[in-house]
Amino acid sequence: MPTVNYISFDGQPTQLELAEGMTIMQGAVMNGIEGIEGECSGSCACATCHCYVDDAWLAKLPEMSENEDEMLDDTASERKPNSRLSCQIKATAELDGIVIHMPEEQE
Amino acid sequence: MFRFDPYSPEIDADPFPAYATLRAEYPCFWSEDIEMWVLSRHKDIVMALNDWETFSSAKGNLVSELPGRQGSTLGTTDPPRHDRLRALIQKAVTKRALTHILEPARATMHKHLEALKGRDQFDYVSELSSRYTVDLIVYLFDLPDENLQTVRDKAVLMVQTDPKTKQKGPEHIEAFEWMQDYAARLVEDRKKNPGEDLLSQFILSEIDGEKLTDKEILLTVTTLIMAGIESLSGFLTMLVKNITDHPEVRDALVADPSLIPDAIEESLRFNTSAQRFRRCVMKETTLHGQTMKPGDFVILAYGSANRDEEVFPNADVYDLSRKPKGHLGFGGGVHACLGTAIARLACKVLLEELLIAFPNISKVEQELRWMSSTNFRSPLELQVKI
Repeated sequence: MPTVNYISFDGQPTQLELAEGMTIMQGAVMNGIEGIEGECSGSCACATCHCYVDDAWLAKLPEMSENEDEMLDDTASERKPNSRLSCQIKATAELDGIVIHMPEEQE
Repeated sequence: MFRFDPYSPEIDADPFPAYATLRAEYPCFWSEDIEMWVLSRHKDIVMALNDWETFSSAKGNLVSELPGRQGSTLGTTDPPRHDRLRALIQKAVTKRALTHILEPARATMHKHLEALKGRDQFDYVSELSSRYTVDLIVYLFDLPDENLQTVRDKAVLMVQTDPKTKQKGPEHIEAFEWMQDYAARLVEDRKKNPGEDLLSQFILSEIDGEKLTDKEILLTVTTLIMAGIESLSGFLTMLVKNITDHPEVRDALVADPSLIPDAIEESLRFNTSAQRFRRCVMKETTLHGQTMKPGDFVILAYGSANRDEEVFPNADVYDLSRKPKGHLGFGGGVHACLGTAIARLACKVLLEELLIAFPNISKVEQELRWMSSTNFRSPLELQVKI
């Protein structure tokens, strides 16, 4: 099972093993990790699962859809070049070990 | 022998004991009664929702599907077509885009609450939640003022199913056809006189320079009216049922209205109106020792996932302080409810105004009559004391 490293805004790390195909957002909300909301239940419609993906992993991510790109213009914390919506990233063998940084706020 | 029949009135009234058995003993259950698989654990349902290539919506998403919807609505198409259709409406229904509904919502609540002043008791469904919902949908879709009671009645009827024949009855199909005719006239009118409303935006949209098909427009508009009216009022009813079943929660909300969003989230988890939806297996899949074949239908029991102790400890307790995340009260994944922000805003305004007007609103002992439906769950009437 792929490992995901969640780093809270104040730097606290939590490592989780997610079932293949589970999204980074689902992994966080189902395991009580603070910092990811997922208000729209994963339909890429709210930008409350905003995260910053560690640069080493950025190139391995699936391409961003136009919709995700537009939603990212509406984040509560600053959008950066490594901003993604965590509901659009599934845990896969290729992303084993991925590092995800939480933003300061989601709403 | 254990059975699970979502057409039965017992499941309409209280599905939770059966869900507990399903999760514990038959996590991938073949129901002889309906000849469909039933998934009930949170994790399994989330995986099925994520894997639309294996669990397709394109053969319909209602447990007992209405004729012709397959492949022609948001809920009954798969990506990539689904994603393009959804993107056409998405922007108009985000939280930020919807602040304009707050004042009209408050105004309609004031109007209906005023009419109830001086009463000791009333039916929350017919006298408040359904009227408020219809007013909101009229505002959002700019529906004409005529026939609104009939629109509401047909929306509620078309989602129902017949427990005896285990399918849609003629009255349910007739209601669906009525709604399609209503939608067809609306579409015709909006094409000639487009407005700023949500339906006009959708009807006039194009995908990659290509107009939507007439069938897509008609069935999507029909479904949006159905969902807007029936699902929203159904959930508003469950929300107030929870508040009146738990007077300590009501008192906490009266004392501190900033807790209202927590009550809404916990209600979405505890007993969402959207109990079950359907998918079709596209690839042979083995789960918990059972093999599901291509063409088999699978019920995803969201209402059961929301009571899964693996994710929600003490799941059968309504806990205002729980702040549940990851519940499936709106479903999940690409097909999660389009109206999440509308629903949350509508719920918030309703509870805020209701608890100001009637801070002692409370339960009346009554035998609840539940809607007969394989998908949705809410009582047809809810008497409350004020």
